[in-house]
Amino acid sequence: MKNFFKLLNFEVNRFFKLYLTLIGLIIVSQFIGAIVESKVYMDRTDQEMYKNQLSMSQYIERHGVFSFNYVFESEWFLLPIFFSIAMLMIYVFFIWYRDWFGKNTFIYRLLMLPTERITIYFAKLTTIMFLVLGLVTLQILLIPIEIQIVNSIIPTDFQSNFSFYHFSSFEIWGWMYPNTFTEFILIYGVGLIFVAVLFTAILIERSYGLKGILFAIVYGMVSFGVFFAPILLNELSSGYFYSLEVFLMLLVMSFIVLGSAIWIANHLLKYKIRV
Amino acid sequence: MTVKFNNRDPVYVQVIRHFKEKIAKGYFEPGQEIPSRRELANQLKINPNTAQRAYKEMGEQGLIFTEGNMPSCITKDEAVLKSVREELIIEAVDLFLGSIKSIDVPLSEVLELVKKKHDAESGEAEESK
Amino acid sequence: MIEVKNVMKKYGRKQVLKGLSFTAEKGEITCLIGINGVGKTTIMKAIMALTPINSGEILIDGEKIRKESFEKVTFIPDTITMLPQMKICDAFTFMADFYKNWDPLRAEELLQFFKLDPTERIANLSKGNMAKVNMILGLALNVDYLLMDEPFSGIDIFSREQIAEVFTSHLIEDRGVIITTHEISDIEHLIDRAVIIDNGEVLKEFSVEEVREKEGKSVVDVMREVYRR
Repeated sequence: MKNFFKLLNFEVNRFFKLYLTLIGLIIVSQFIGAIVESKVYMDRTDQEMYKNQLSMSQYIERHGVFSFNYVFESEWFLLPIFFSIAMLMIYVFFIWYRDWFGKNTFIYRLLMLPTERITIYFAKLTTIMFLVLGLVTLQILLIPIEIQIVNSIIPTDFQSNFSFYHFSSFEIWGWMYPNTFTEFILIYGVGLIFVAVLFTAILIERSYGLKGILFAIVYGMVSFGVFFAPILLNELSSGYFYSLEVFLMLLVMSFIVLGSAIWIANHLLKYKIRV
Repeated sequence: MTVKFNNRDPVYVQVIRHFKEKIAKGYFEPGQEIPSRRELANQLKINPNTAQRAYKEMGEQGLIFTEGNMPSCITKDEAVLKSVREELIIEAVDLFLGSIKSIDVPLSEVLELVKKKHDAESGEAEESK
Repeated sequence: MIEVKNVMKKYGRKQVLKGLSFTAEKGEITCLIGINGVGKTTIMKAIMALTPINSGEILIDGEKIRKESFEKVTFIPDTITMLPQMKICDAFTFMADFYKNWDPLRAEELLQFFKLDPTERIANLSKGNMAKVNMILGLALNVDYLLMDEPFSGIDIFSREQIAEVFTSHLIEDRGVIITTHEISDIEHLIDRAVIIDNGEVLKEFSVEEVREKEGKSVVDVMREVYRR
């Protein structure tokens, strides 16, 4: 158990510099976005008011107040998020491959540690989860600050009532910031299973080489199929099952998929892996 | 102490020989302390097991003795030391005789040459002193 | 004692190990001899469960390898087993963190013997120095068995002499050492047993001093004999 935490600490530290860079990028870009969009809005509004000789309340009657969509749908806001998602996706693979390639043969050391080798798997899996949750949390903290920034630039009359709650109601963010704890567990649970299956696929490739890629893809597809089987079943039988039953079946399938991912990974790490 | 070992004779035998030479030539005094097995292995750059074997053999041959936990020492037994000297001398003689046997020359002539050479060299040694 | 029993291994279509068997005792230096590509590195990796085998058995002190075994046996491959951006002292801290048997004093002693700077980054080390650090990572562990893959190859002669000194010191004494090499003549006088491997099999396994005593042959002589067949 202690070794798990040591490895977790080690893995998190390895990515930390890059992580801070990502955080910095997100903060800078989103703050700039908040400032820029507010100023652009104000410029536009002033111009419009001047051109058509409108007063503030007249303008507001016609065009409404400032919409936070300007900020939260701008590239300044979205680009760093997509970039971070891309980086984390890459790291899901890189976190393993980096120990095999280049001048780095650290995998020798990891596999020779006096600990169950599956600990390495768990440590890397948990690291990814931490990194994801970290960024998700960062965003929660940044939203109120960005709202403040906007409200310090545009006059009170143009301000709208906006809070994080409104933000998470946006469709695209709804899934990242679910409203209930159960939903949270479900969504991030599925994410966890997804990463676990990817990890096991990577280990299959590392154990069997070229033909391993084939096995890995087949494995991935089977896992996917097993996981969504209840939904498929339900569709094929024209909605024969109650939602609760489908849900329970999905739950069981998730455990099966996660359990087999871990079991296969353990078996590979102990008996089939090659350096 | 660097000794060049050949790879065909057992190393431990070569180590014992090395010790015998040192004794015969007087580099080792009777009763003198010798390095531990570990130290010897390190000095001669050999496997510690070999040093161990050599010491065991030398102990059995009476060349060295070990009292309890004290470091090993060269024997003080005069008879043993004498026989080591003799052994080396006889070896040298055998070697010599073997070399000249194929050359057809009477023994007296050979001995003359030996005496001449020996005197010349001791003479030089005297002069350089 | 490390026992390798009838190990078979295929890599792709090539049968790399064809029923390889030998034993290495504690307190002895056993040398696996053979030309490049004959399976020496593969069997060492197999002993450490770093590559799978198709059949056969490998036992360390009578048991199959488990996680505790890594405190009993360690492997020094020909590549560095730490992150390149780590400093030498970081690498030592890592070892101390995970291994109960890590001896920091011995690591320090070896660092000084090899004249290395602990604040140097591993990526910046010369090949010879990297090999020395790798050695320390293995030697400073109080393990019963040390496996070293080509410890002398590709290294300048002075580094080689330094490494050879380690073999004659207390650092190796009482441990079981398996080394591989394809240049045996330099270190013949250091080893206890020789295992000549060719084509994935053991051609001959013998005690070096015994052969010298009984047959007056060096290891190189035996190799010539054995390969000629």
